[in-house]
Amino acid sequence: MNKKHFWMGLLLALVMLVVTACGDDEEQANGNENSGENAGESSGESEEEQVEIRFTWWGDTARHEIYNEIADRFEEQNPNITVKREFGGWTDYWDKLTTQTAGGNAPDIVGMHQFYVSDYARRGALLSLNDLVDSGNLDLSKFPQSVVDSGKIGEDIIMVAQGITMSGYAYNTALFDELGIEYPDHNWTYQDLEDISRQVNEATNGEVYGTSDMSGGQLQPNFRYFVRQKGKDLFTEDGQIGFEKEDLVEWWAMWKEWREDGLIPDGATQTEFEGAPLEQNLFTTGQSALYQIPANQIHLYQEQFDEGEIQMVRIPSLQGGESGEFIEGAYLSITKDSEHPEEAAKFIDFFVNTKDSLEVFKVEQGAPGNSEMSEFVKPLLEPAQTRAVEFIENTVDNARPAPYSPKGVSELEQVFSDNATAVQFNEMTVEEAAEDFFDQAESILK
Amino acid sequence: MQTIKSIWQKNWLGYLFLSPWLIGLLCLTAIPMAASLYLSFTNYDMFTAPQWVGFENYGDMFDDRKWLASVKVTAIFVFLGVPLQLSFALAIALLLNKGISGLKVYRAAYYVPSLFGGSVAIAILWRQLFGGDGLVNHALSLVGIEGMNWIATPDTALYTLVVLTVWQFGAPMVIFLAGLQQIPVDLYEAARIDGANKMKQFISITIPMLSPIIFFNLIMQIIASFQAFTQAYIVSGGTGGPLNSTLFYTLYLYQKGFTHFQMGYASAMAWILLFAIAIITALVFASAKKWVYYQE
Repeated sequence: MNKKHFWMGLLLALVMLVVTACGDDEEQANGNENSGENAGESSGESEEEQVEIRFTWWGDTARHEIYNEIADRFEEQNPNITVKREFGGWTDYWDKLTTQTAGGNAPDIVGMHQFYVSDYARRGALLSLNDLVDSGNLDLSKFPQSVVDSGKIGEDIIMVAQGITMSGYAYNTALFDELGIEYPDHNWTYQDLEDISRQVNEATNGEVYGTSDMSGGQLQPNFRYFVRQKGKDLFTEDGQIGFEKEDLVEWWAMWKEWREDGLIPDGATQTEFEGAPLEQNLFTTGQSALYQIPANQIHLYQEQFDEGEIQMVRIPSLQGGESGEFIEGAYLSITKDSEHPEEAAKFIDFFVNTKDSLEVFKVEQGAPGNSEMSEFVKPLLEPAQTRAVEFIENTVDNARPAPYSPKGVSELEQVFSDNATAVQFNEMTVEEAAEDFFDQAESILK
Repeated sequence: MQTIKSIWQKNWLGYLFLSPWLIGLLCLTAIPMAASLYLSFTNYDMFTAPQWVGFENYGDMFDDRKWLASVKVTAIFVFLGVPLQLSFALAIALLLNKGISGLKVYRAAYYVPSLFGGSVAIAILWRQLFGGDGLVNHALSLVGIEGMNWIATPDTALYTLVVLTVWQFGAPMVIFLAGLQQIPVDLYEAARIDGANKMKQFISITIPMLSPIIFFNLIMQIIASFQAFTQAYIVSGGTGGPLNSTLFYTLYLYQKGFTHFQMGYASAMAWILLFAIAIITALVFASAKKWVYYQE
């Protein structure tokens, strides 16, 4: 056989297989898309048409049970809609969502977060909900304007608050009583945090840290509160860094001093507990007296302790500084490529506006955005959840709006976290780390 | 001269039988690879269309501190882990080759860790073992040594992962064992009669006779180690920390692509990895002439 012809034949055969095999897939996919569109169009006319929407969220086992229950109830009332559920822990959730979005395979309804929404919204992966709100599919009339605004980017409503929450420092009254140390005051300062940590540390012969090391990790809430208290913010409205090198130096130097005094864990201990599940973290295992958490988690921590009450105070303030508070929370968005935006909106509407849903949700990811529902759930709460709602109500008045992060924020956060770790392990001085952060920030945000 | 048509008519059945494999190769390997080669010359955030940037991604790597750190970590892992793992596998294979009874049971038992190899469960177990309050430290405290947090200390974190690889010695061990059993016994008999001691026998008979097997294991393990991912991802919680000490090349690639939305850069990294593996494998092949002995 002629060699040249053999290879040409083989090549042709391959090409043909590519065309047929891979082409089939595409045709099939297109076919599905078409039938999907038809289903979407006709669902208004005939109730029998089955529609499947996909919903994904982050959280722990308890939350998965709650959200499954809400989705079940929605399916009961809307027999033509099936809600397919996907969920995972915080870190895995974002990795998976990126992959799915890139592959054009994102779920219809996705759990969103203020800090990461810009990575998706600014790249056009999320649907503007304005039309769905105007058409009445999604009712936000019972939402305070500030809460609706917290889900907007520019003029577009990109996400709807499931629950709003505020960050603070939690402590267990039992430990403070046992050590004979006074509880922290709601309006305390960083100096108070240091003093109390020192007392705890001395009273336990160094067995218990004052608090966990919050110098690095995520950019918010801790560092963000600090720069806001100084009248600045992480970012400016036009997406540049909003604070100075001196602020970062001051922040890392403060934690470094506490670390050297043994008030907070050393680098290795901190690394070991970073990302530990709630049941095994420094606070739950009794190695840290104070712990920074969002208020909606108070009851989860309460469940871990037989004795004492988990109480919360606001994040320490800066003597003579401004208030650092901003509204945080969990949100729901609809993805751009969703084939059933109306059904998805219907689900979100059910989730945030109906008693059937809220009596299960209660304050799982914060106080409900809908003010009527917020009142409705109050009598249903356990004492620890009531304390959370009270804390949110007390501090939300201090809240000021916070600009959205620019594209590239996850990369910037990585640098922040890496450099903080380098300081923890004395690989870099505070000044070097801050200098380097600004160098890298410049090229990331260019 | 045959036309293409006639070749096709003669051989279509053959291509039909090949098709399951061919379709897999094309759709799952060849096309994605071509796409990744193209993307490696672009800025691509996975949401918007890729922009052509030429060799920028490749150039940027050499200024990227974390990339250099990941290369160093991976190099240590490969050049320390592979020789250790193979020596350990060979040692166990030699022990098992002594004609002890119940060989099958031992062989299976030692192979088990390899079955779990690279699994998430084992990595989690490892995290527990070498944690500050882990089993390793408890064992050390029994003999009066105060342990440390092996996983969370930058100087030791990578070595716990090397130990994990060494522990998964089962696959090369089984292959070594098969090789050892192929060595003719009369070679050893002749050596004994000539007065060669055990050590001499090992160096002059076992190693040369086993060299093709060593060569095979070496190549396989080098390639696998360059691509190690799961252990570091789980043990460091996906961060490659502390202080990038477990930032394997593939882990950094993953972070770039899926956390930082830089799929173009990640694709370029993948191609560099491919070339690095190809070059090192070629070097090992080239060296084989000097030390691999084939009976002929």
